Amino acid sequence: MIHRECGVLKTSYAADMALYPVPLARWTVGAIAAAAFGVFPLLAGDYLLSIANLAAIAVVGAIGLNILTGYTGQISLGHGAFMSVGAYTAAILATRAGLPVWVCLPAGGAMAALVGMIVGSPSLRIKGLYLAIATLAGQFVIEWTINHVTWISGGVQASIYVPRPALGGLVIQSQREMYYFIMVVTALAVVAALNLFRTRVGRAFIAIRDHDVAAEIIGINIFRYKLLAFAISSFYAGVTGVLYTYYLGIANYEQFTIVTSIDFLAMIIIGGLGSILGSIFGAVFLTLLPIVLRYVVEGIGGLFFTIPDVLNLITNVQLILFGGLIVFFLVVEPEGLNKLWRNIKDYFRVWPFAY
Amino acid sequence: MDFFALLVVNGLLVGTLYSLIALGFVLIYKATDAINFAQGELVMIAGFFVAALIQLYRVPLAATVAIAVLAMMLLGFGIERVMLRPLIGRPVIAVIMATIGLAAILKGTGPLVWGAETKNLPLPIPEAPFLVNVLDVVVLVSPIQLVAAGVSLAFLAVFGYIFLRSRMGIAMRAVADSQQVAMAMGINVERYFALAWAMAGIVSALGGIIWGNLLGVDVHLALVGLKVFPVVILGGLDSIPGAVVGGLIVGVVEGVAAGYIDPYVGGGTKDFVPYLLMILALMVRPYGIFGKEIIERV
Amino acid sequence: MTRSLALTLAAVLALAAAASPVWAGHEIAVGLQCDRVGPTNTIGPFLCPGAHDYVKLVNKKGGVDGHRVRVIEIDIKYQVPLAVESYEKMKQEGIVSLMLYGTPQTYALTPKLTEDRIPGTAPGFGRADATDGTKYPYVFPVAASYWSQATAAVRFLLDESKKQGKKVGKVAFLFYDNPAGREPLQILETLARREGFELRTFAVPPPGIEMSAQVLDIGGRFRPDWVITHLFGRSPSVSIKELKRVGYPLDRVVSFVWGAAESDVEAAGWSTAEGYLGLQYAGVGQDFPVIQEIVKMYRDEGQAPPKEMAHSVYYNRGVLWAAVHVEAIRNAIKKFGPQIKGEHVKQGFEMIKGVTLGGLVPPLEITPNDHEGGGWVQVWQVKGGKWTRVTDWFKAYPDILQEALKGS
Repeated sequence: MIHRECGVLKTSYAADMALYPVPLARWTVGAIAAAAFGVFPLLAGDYLLSIANLAAIAVVGAIGLNILTGYTGQISLGHGAFMSVGAYTAAILATRAGLPVWVCLPAGGAMAALVGMIVGSPSLRIKGLYLAIATLAGQFVIEWTINHVTWISGGVQASIYVPRPALGGLVIQSQREMYYFIMVVTALAVVAALNLFRTRVGRAFIAIRDHDVAAEIIGINIFRYKLLAFAISSFYAGVTGVLYTYYLGIANYEQFTIVTSIDFLAMIIIGGLGSILGSIFGAVFLTLLPIVLRYVVEGIGGLFFTIPDVLNLITNVQLILFGGLIVFFLVVEPEGLNKLWRNIKDYFRVWPFAY
Repeated sequence: MDFFALLVVNGLLVGTLYSLIALGFVLIYKATDAINFAQGELVMIAGFFVAALIQLYRVPLAATVAIAVLAMMLLGFGIERVMLRPLIGRPVIAVIMATIGLAAILKGTGPLVWGAETKNLPLPIPEAPFLVNVLDVVVLVSPIQLVAAGVSLAFLAVFGYIFLRSRMGIAMRAVADSQQVAMAMGINVERYFALAWAMAGIVSALGGIIWGNLLGVDVHLALVGLKVFPVVILGGLDSIPGAVVGGLIVGVVEGVAAGYIDPYVGGGTKDFVPYLLMILALMVRPYGIFGKEIIERV
Repeated sequence: MTRSLALTLAAVLALAAAASPVWAGHEIAVGLQCDRVGPTNTIGPFLCPGAHDYVKLVNKKGGVDGHRVRVIEIDIKYQVPLAVESYEKMKQEGIVSLMLYGTPQTYALTPKLTEDRIPGTAPGFGRADATDGTKYPYVFPVAASYWSQATAAVRFLLDESKKQGKKVGKVAFLFYDNPAGREPLQILETLARREGFELRTFAVPPPGIEMSAQVLDIGGRFRPDWVITHLFGRSPSVSIKELKRVGYPLDRVVSFVWGAAESDVEAAGWSTAEGYLGLQYAGVGQDFPVIQEIVKMYRDEGQAPPKEMAHSVYYNRGVLWAAVHVEAIRNAIKKFGPQIKGEHVKQGFEMIKGVTLGGLVPPLEITPNDHEGGGWVQVWQVKGGKWTRVTDWFKAYPDILQEALKGS
């Protein structure tokens, strides 16, 4: 009934290579954009907006990690450290050099990309688990460096306050203004990533993931492209760190520990490796999980346990559920939420027929 | 000189403690090619269990050890059956993430069942250190460290023999080498996977008892698991003597670096010196001192 | 299958909605941030119930001038983003004051609290420069900051050594290597210069369970006369065991307030920790009228008193936290009437004087200039299987503190 591709005839190369060739897809994306930019921020209260902000920032990070791990097959446990590099770079530039946010944001990302390339350089010689452990080492070394080098960390407290971002006279303060700012950056990130995998760079990444020796043989310089993957992924991570910093008003390395790296890995696994939509699903899901869980456990637990016990219960249950979900998705649906979504879409593509 | 000797001896002894945990990791990798990110959490759960047995139920020590070993073996069986068997043949990131998920589950279950406060795990081993004269230099040695060293070396001997000589060990090595060929030769791959995890469970039980006594049992005991990576990379992911040697090296380097460099950089060298060592090893000799080199054939 | 799933989901949601309690009447909301599963999960699960129980007691006695107090607790796992997010939620529910938890969270929320004009308390943790009420008008340490604890510890060990006729030549400072741990460093260095002892600092990397090299150095090489420890979470119990293992006498070890609780000593073993000294900013034990009242309140309801009470060091601190907030609210209502907001409660804090709850709370006196209230501590020692009091409330070196405040 909803024949998506039927009757869509293209008459130019541009139309054939468009990002969304099917009109229904274009209408859907337009509607989502209108809802996200127009309807939601006007209707939602401050608290919902703050959750949306956190989720949007996580989306950028998840996409970055997916580029590296999902599309290029390089496991990285150092995502948190790259975020903190970006965060502190932007904080230092903003406070000591007084640069505005539209300089600090890409600068933070660029610095993180540079560090990411350095951490990823062992990928020339090692792969798989060994590379993962090398990135784990990178995470700890970067954390220690930021904590101990006072020039970077800004003194004993190792946290740097950043002033509110200002774009041409407009100071971004309230949750709503933050929302627009973050959504613009996130939208750019998503579109950039989508387009990345329509270029030969993106295809090289996927080739490296699928079989790197074969890719080398057909002429792809895998070391160069692996470094590029690290660079792009770390750029995204750096931007995520900068966004967190501006959102919270403070850059603090304790937000970007190994736990954060594992969180983002979980996001892309649950969302679906190797898909941008999956990254979005995973990021939103994992951002909402603790909040929803708190409501549910508070509501139901209040019937069975006393309040202090419930509060103790919540966080441990969160951990168990977090781990359980990862294992569940790995065992039952290895391609994550994205695959579930595709199943639903495929079902409706030929509905009411069965196939 | 005195201080240096003190640091080296202490480092060696602490190193054997690290190898105890690394041994569990190596056993699993050697037999199943799976990377266990939850090694620290297994030690933690063993510690919780033993602390509860000793303090809450007042079970005598010998029985406690036996029950704990049995329980951790069963836990190992269970983990393998539920989580890892469905993931046979999947890419390495799937198994890594599965063990990370397992780590989170264990980290939540421990405090949920047994409470969040730190528990003491008393062992009938004297606390006070005694002085030993080594080559005219006096060093402090703590009895619990000697016990741990003894246990690690005992395990090394036992597991080394099992893998080298016994039928079970050879079968496990075959499975680790190539699951499909092993299956074709009639080896029950799934049974040996289960056995490997059970063995890791046993090692974790002992590790939990000793580390629990050293540090006290609570959720942060799991963090000793992070030390495992430098040790196994140095020693070789699939080498049992490598786990011990790697542990010793990491222990000594850590201690000496911390003792001498810490005052200049304000502390914390202990944390990242093992990782620097590891990065060095990865660049120079990725398979570790004793590890088996993997040659890729196209 | 899908239908039963949908029905179950609907039932769960309905149950959750129905179970949310319905509040009525004029209520004053206070926010409480707690850490029950993060790095300080040895503290939160015992401290926060103390605050809840005190408020319960106050409500049972008719509330504050007839108004009910509600505590909104959210677990922040000692993470800054969660602290910020939970603050936004609490703000939405209309809190008039906030019980902060953790030094990095205090730093992160200071600008927001100032902007929103909601006072926050940070008893016994950073930031020490908030003692100056004019600098950070909406942050109240309310109890001895790390600077005050440093001066008190040094005063105590100097006095003890003098009593025993010994001179203090070397002091070691064993601390958790994070911003909170490093805060007292400058004060200790000033004190070392003034009193003429050699100070050497030993940083313990987070999460604070590995300190054998540092302790070996202390016990084997440096061999100081006294050791001051500034550790929290898991660290204190490990430090006790490690120091014992290198043979250092524990009655020469003084710990700051977050390393001197029952749980730390229990984890190390009461017999192992014999002699260990610690600073406290709230009374220890159940021997206070307010604690007895809470016990009676539970018994009247037919329940046993909560087991967290046995961890009296942290539980009583929770009671202190809540008591200070309740007192501030009471002062605010007296001055401004029942419809109070954050800025009124802030002034209520600055009127606090003479609330001792029978000795559980030190003689705090909070003014617009002094948000710390005096920096009082007591020294307690592990003797014969429990904590026993060694000194009464005291504070030390006010001139050094003033200088440091001016300079910061």
